[in-house]
Amino acid sequence: MLDLIIQIFPYAIAFTIPLLITSLGGLYSERSGVVNIGLEGLMLVGLFTAALVINKLEIIYPGKAIWIGLLAAMVAGALFALLHAFACITLNANQIISGIAINMTATALTVYLARGITGSGNIQIMLGLPRKNVPFLSEIPIIGKMFFTGTYATTWVVLLILLLSWFLLYKMVFGLRLRACGEHPHAADAAGINVYLVRYIAVMISGACAGLGGGIILVTYSGEFNGSVAGLGFLALAALIFGQWKPLGILAATFFFGFASTIANVSQVIPALSSIPGILLKTFPYIFTLIALVFSAKSSQAPKAAGEPYDKGKR
Amino acid sequence: MNKKYLAVILVVFLLTSVIAGCGGGKAEPAEKVKVGMVTDAGTIDDKSFNQGTWEGVLKAEADLGVEVRYLKPVGTTEADYIREITNLVDAGFKFIVCPGYKFETAIFEAQTRYPDVKFVLIDGSPHAGDYNNVVGENTVAVFFAEHESGFLAGVATALQLKEGETGFVGGMEIPAVQKFNWGFQQGLAYANENHGTNVTINAENVIYQGSFDNVAAGQQLAAQMYDKGVDAIFAAAGGVGVGVINEAKARANTGENVWVVGVDVDQYPEGVYVEGKSAVLTSAMKYIDVVSYDMVAAYLDETFPGGETLTFNVANDGVGIPKDNPNLDDEVEAEVAKVYDLIKDGTIVVADTQGDLIK
Repeated sequence: MLDLIIQIFPYAIAFTIPLLITSLGGLYSERSGVVNIGLEGLMLVGLFTAALVINKLEIIYPGKAIWIGLLAAMVAGALFALLHAFACITLNANQIISGIAINMTATALTVYLARGITGSGNIQIMLGLPRKNVPFLSEIPIIGKMFFTGTYATTWVVLLILLLSWFLLYKMVFGLRLRACGEHPHAADAAGINVYLVRYIAVMISGACAGLGGGIILVTYSGEFNGSVAGLGFLALAALIFGQWKPLGILAATFFFGFASTIANVSQVIPALSSIPGILLKTFPYIFTLIALVFSAKSSQAPKAAGEPYDKGKR
Repeated sequence: MNKKYLAVILVVFLLTSVIAGCGGGKAEPAEKVKVGMVTDAGTIDDKSFNQGTWEGVLKAEADLGVEVRYLKPVGTTEADYIREITNLVDAGFKFIVCPGYKFETAIFEAQTRYPDVKFVLIDGSPHAGDYNNVVGENTVAVFFAEHESGFLAGVATALQLKEGETGFVGGMEIPAVQKFNWGFQQGLAYANENHGTNVTINAENVIYQGSFDNVAAGQQLAAQMYDKGVDAIFAAAGGVGVGVINEAKARANTGENVWVVGVDVDQYPEGVYVEGKSAVLTSAMKYIDVVSYDMVAAYLDETFPGGETLTFNVANDGVGIPKDNPNLDDEVEAEVAKVYDLIKDGTIVVADTQGDLIK
């Protein structure tokens, strides 16, 4: 059993990371009071942008192209999220509907552009990120094999972002203000905080994170843009709720999803698991989440003002 | 307030439909014979089924001067397919190609509803859902001998590796995919018996993932297999196969000696990880493009074989491995060519049933 866990652990982490960073994006947005169900679409925009940039640059700048592509994915995600911010914050539109619009537009737009630019709905990159062992640490028995063998550089980048985000949200003034806007925007406004500005920044950070998530999918396991991120954006949203809108909570929640999905994916080639019907393994994380949500609903830690457009004149 | 939401939704729908509508072929003046295609699940450039069919149709456009267009159904139900077929018929298309066994029931409906329209159903035969096949006078059902294609790929793989372990990743467990698998196993066995190779396939490494689009699962399955010491994976799995190829590329680039055997079309270009090097050993091909082109040509010559069920195999050069295989040695290619001839003259018979093969 331990061998089995060690064997699939690095792949489970690789699968978790795009989910984690997207979920973290959702956290920024929702903590500032803007529900963002457009994560799926924002991921797709990131995936598309990264694929396009890397595809064009990888011959000229091998190696560097991947990082340029990921950066471009973040920028594109942030810009696309600006649409959501404009609709929800400036125009006071319903945040759910704007999110749906983001998802639908992103799907149609990226495929359309992909066709126009490359003549194909798919954009492939030649090579993704290499998997590397962390020197020294990977030699620690068991733990080295699980955490430091065959890792992608993006994994460490994302974990660093998570750590910085925790620090930003809980230890710095900006974080306090951001959370205040999500809990009680009128109080925050009374304290002299520009609620609109804070929310704009938060939604754009969320777009950048989701875009990065899409880009990471490309450079780690998928290797091509094909017009879909297979529902990972919604899964990230579920992880956000399951993780109770807290950085460490979503780390645990996304890892749970990542690990369970990986087990479901590879169960067929692992004799110890192949006797369990695949459908059970595949649905397990979702059923478990439903049950967990039922029990945690009462003590939900959702930001109080999430989903409400901020109206200065309202009491 | 509600009106505002409604407006947003409507605008989005409008945008999406406008954008989606732009994807089709281009309109040209009438008179020309119109050849239509309805795609199966997946995109027109899936590097597999849809693309192969469409390439044949495009070749017909270039060579034979027909007008072409494809429509992509929103879903994969019978109703979705019939809607697009009807759309083509309404637009004056009298010749419609549909790739994929999922069209079986839709074509059954359509062939009686539109008796003056010719249908080509690739990889399936029309039936009403009860598998009692009725090929209408205006329909041609096309099958491929995937087992022979898989057999040749298996022989090539075994001869090239000489010693090692292989695996199989299939998409859905449907006849076309199963026959690839069974043929591949027989090909390995043939080479082991007659050419002294020792290339094995372990039952635990023969799996059907269950979909054609789960790229992540393809990558993770391949990673597990390669970790267990598998040297080459035969991936007959559409998008799942993309994941397999991606994993093989990543490993090959770090110097690991791992391979993928591609499917349907020559997938060598998909496996390129540095200039001039590909992780795709060879591909088990079906010449879908040739068939769709030939059908259009036959229609124009008024020799359309309506009512027939055609099988394309080695005997009529409908399946095989690519002409150029940069990853195979010349001797291996020569040997595979000999095996090809042996299948052609009936010396080797490849079974298209499971027998005592794995899965």
